Amino acid sequence: MSGPALIHVVVSGLATGCIYALVALSLVIVYNATRTVNFSQGEMLMVSAFTAWSAQHAGLPLPLALVAGVAAGGLLALLIERAIIRRAVAATHWDVLIITLGLSLVLRAAAGLVWTNEELPFPALFSNRPIAVGPVRLAPVSLGVIAASLILMAALVALFRATRFGRAMRAVAQNQTAARLMGIGVERVYSAAWVLAALVGGIAGVLIAPLTFLSTKMGLVAINGFTAAVLGGFGSLPGAVVGGMLLGVIENLAPLYLPTGIRYSVPFLVMIAILVARPRGLFGRVERRKV
Amino acid sequence: MRAAAWAVGVLAALGWPLVAPRYFVFLATLVAVNAVVAIGLNLLSGYTNQLSFGHAGFLAIGAYTAAILTLHAPALPVPLTLLAAGLLTALVGLALGIPCLRLDGLYLAMATLAFGFVVVEAITNLDPLTHGNDGLRVPLARLGPWLLDTDRARYYLAFAVAAAMILAALNLAATRTGRAFLAIRGSEIAAQASGINAAAFKTVAFVLSAFYTGVAGGLFAFVVGFLSPDAFDVFLSVDFLVMIILGGLGSVWGSVAGAAVVTVLNDALAGFQTYRPLIFGAIMIACMLFAPGGLAAMTRRQS
Repeated sequence: MSGPALIHVVVSGLATGCIYALVALSLVIVYNATRTVNFSQGEMLMVSAFTAWSAQHAGLPLPLALVAGVAAGGLLALLIERAIIRRAVAATHWDVLIITLGLSLVLRAAAGLVWTNEELPFPALFSNRPIAVGPVRLAPVSLGVIAASLILMAALVALFRATRFGRAMRAVAQNQTAARLMGIGVERVYSAAWVLAALVGGIAGVLIAPLTFLSTKMGLVAINGFTAAVLGGFGSLPGAVVGGMLLGVIENLAPLYLPTGIRYSVPFLVMIAILVARPRGLFGRVERRKV
Repeated sequence: MRAAAWAVGVLAALGWPLVAPRYFVFLATLVAVNAVVAIGLNLLSGYTNQLSFGHAGFLAIGAYTAAILTLHAPALPVPLTLLAAGLLTALVGLALGIPCLRLDGLYLAMATLAFGFVVVEAITNLDPLTHGNDGLRVPLARLGPWLLDTDRARYYLAFAVAAAMILAALNLAATRTGRAFLAIRGSEIAAQASGINAAAFKTVAFVLSAFYTGVAGGLFAFVVGFLSPDAFDVFLSVDFLVMIILGGLGSVWGSVAGAAVVTVLNDALAGFQTYRPLIFGAIMIACMLFAPGGLAAMTRRQS
């Protein structure tokens, strides 16, 4: 394959990878704060995308509709965290995991009832027609997704490093008891983590919906997000970003070199391979637990 | 009293196909098949606190093994076919279990999820053997001179197998291995400190779980009569999880009860496909919030 064509494939892989990275980030944000994984993260971003679609059809201009969708995802996360997850706060992580699994079923079925189980086209912010950059042809949608994701990631870095709230989240991730003793409202950090994750996931949702169609099944992108997060080492934020990009590129390059039969299995084979060879991922650290 | 309850239960189960309409005999057969899967999954999830999203994959391996074996060796008696399905699935479970040994709960859940997807893709692509997406018609099961060609015959087959597997699982809880499982469930670290090789026992649980599910897969193939890869998707794995969560983690009879409720609900909601996940999801959430031990714990509390 020629160089410019290869660059085209890699760039569109990076664009998909950015979306996986955002989904991975949203999973890791909840995990770091609460030590449980939200299996309904994919369905929450699906709700964001559907809400944005409705808002646009209600007459809102597209950018505003996207903001409304993302905000609705955040609100939904707040409601779920306060009404359901917090009730199970005394429960084990295992219980919360199963609750979020149940939530993913409920949200998907509810979205099918409220909206539709069909696939809908989603309005795109960026054009799909390739433009020439020197000898290379690139799709503006790839560049747009990459730019939007990088801006969001930079904002997250700023949030975690430079704000009181970000420091509180990092403190809770490191040691909950110590954080509580320092006067941090750990419960509020839980809620905030859920909302923040839903916002990041919601942005991923409205970015991916134009590429894949809007459907109740789009929550399955969370599986790629999991793979990305595991690839980077679950719990590591930079790992989630690198893992996502890597997965996107691998997934886009694989069909060029592998038979079509195993094409759809690529993310899963990558996941199994990384779990077998290096279970803590690229950036994960071994956790020590005290009895 | 206990013996009387057993006798009534066994008699009711034996008499069911003589009095019930054909469709309900078929439904009861499915309950028996799903009960075996639920017990298998509970050996893993309930006793050793590991979540599996891949049991539909194990079921598929068992089902296709039994179907392909019967296609190529039609004279093979059905118990041997089922045993082969169980053993091959257990072997795959071992191959998956050994690398997954080092993984804790979340990572194992992800690995099994990936495994389930890979199995479906593999079945779709191995069309010379499995006929891929066209589906595979399963020949009738044979037991010596008899051809199991009625719903009633298949019911008795499934009932006999399920009864044997239930008894084995009940007795497992009374063996050293069963106690090791329970200790690991209580606290893996404490179990290790007491000299239990947690990693080895978790692999045993994984392999046993795969064996149960593989046997159930073989039964499933004969009961349903037609296999296609899309029947074994991740949502089937989630159905199995709903069974054990509703029935009660770590309880054999709970698994059976959960399998019965979910199978019957699945059938009753066949016309309302869109509401099905809504109800199953709500069951999962409600169980975790209000009845963590499931049906098994409820009956225990009353007695």
